[in-house]
Amino acid sequence: MDYDAQLKLQSYLDGELPESEAREIANLLAQDREAVALFAELRNTRQALVGSEVGVALPESREFFWSKIEREIYRLEKSEPAPRPSSVFAAWRRFLMPAGGVAALAIAAFIGLFGGSQGPTHEMAVADPGAFTYHDFSAGTTLVWLTYPAENEFADNFE
Amino acid sequence: MRFLCSLIVSALAAFAALSAPAAPLKIEVQLIWGTTNEVSPNAEHKSIGPELKKKLQELPLKWTNYFEVKRIDVDVPSAGVATVPLSQKCRLEITDRGHSTIQVVLFGKGEKVINRTQALPKGETLILGGNAPGATSWFAVLRRLD
Repeated sequence: MDYDAQLKLQSYLDGELPESEAREIANLLAQDREAVALFAELRNTRQALVGSEVGVALPESREFFWSKIEREIYRLEKSEPAPRPSSVFAAWRRFLMPAGGVAALAIAAFIGLFGGSQGPTHEMAVADPGAFTYHDFSAGTTLVWLTYPAENEFADNFE
Repeated sequence: MRFLCSLIVSALAAFAALSAPAAPLKIEVQLIWGTTNEVSPNAEHKSIGPELKKKLQELPLKWTNYFEVKRIDVDVPSAGVATVPLSQKCRLEITDRGHSTIQVVLFGKGEKVINRTQALPKGETLILGGNAPGATSWFAVLRRLD
């Protein structure tokens, strides 16, 4: 039995073959012991995989999950560097950019050493279990969605 | 002598400025109802502003229309807690943790539902939300006013 027939046998098991090819494979199974053995092995493997498959539950809703992926793709697309213009100053620019970086670091170090101290710039967020958080950094919005069943707590306001 | 007096006055002024209590945080709290209906059945509900509407519509939520149920401006003392009643069964407790950081505790039916501490600089918005009856939603929107 050739490789193509083996693949068709797998497709037959998955119910993916068109009717004419499915009939061919059924005939093959009626005549070829090797095909029968392979078919049985494939079927056993599939049943074993189905039985041991572990379901994975997302800690957040599907809309939130996909929205995060979508936003990350959008952010990466936006942050792709623009193509470099070909000009006679390209070599100079290659030299000036690292030099400018060194100068900026020196200025930052100077300000850090002598510019005095300010409040902390980092953010800390602590959330209880039973809630998940969605940050929209561009809009400066943080949404904390509660899975707490607060179905009726606000009913007196809404009705 | 004149120089000495001015020095003393300056020192006293500086001491008074340092020892004066910090100004309270001014925070606006809005209770919002989210729905897919075009109009609210409650005539007391108001339409929300375009800025907040845009923020909410940019979030991955299924609701299309939002109505303001209640708006409360609250002063959070630098060393105290401000309580904001959202409904008869729910309230928020807001504490100023310094450096533009606030602690928000939501109580429902007397029980603590969530305790969150995070930075809330001016211009940023913190929204607590959840499901409400009839496949609608509620939101408590917190914004710094000063």
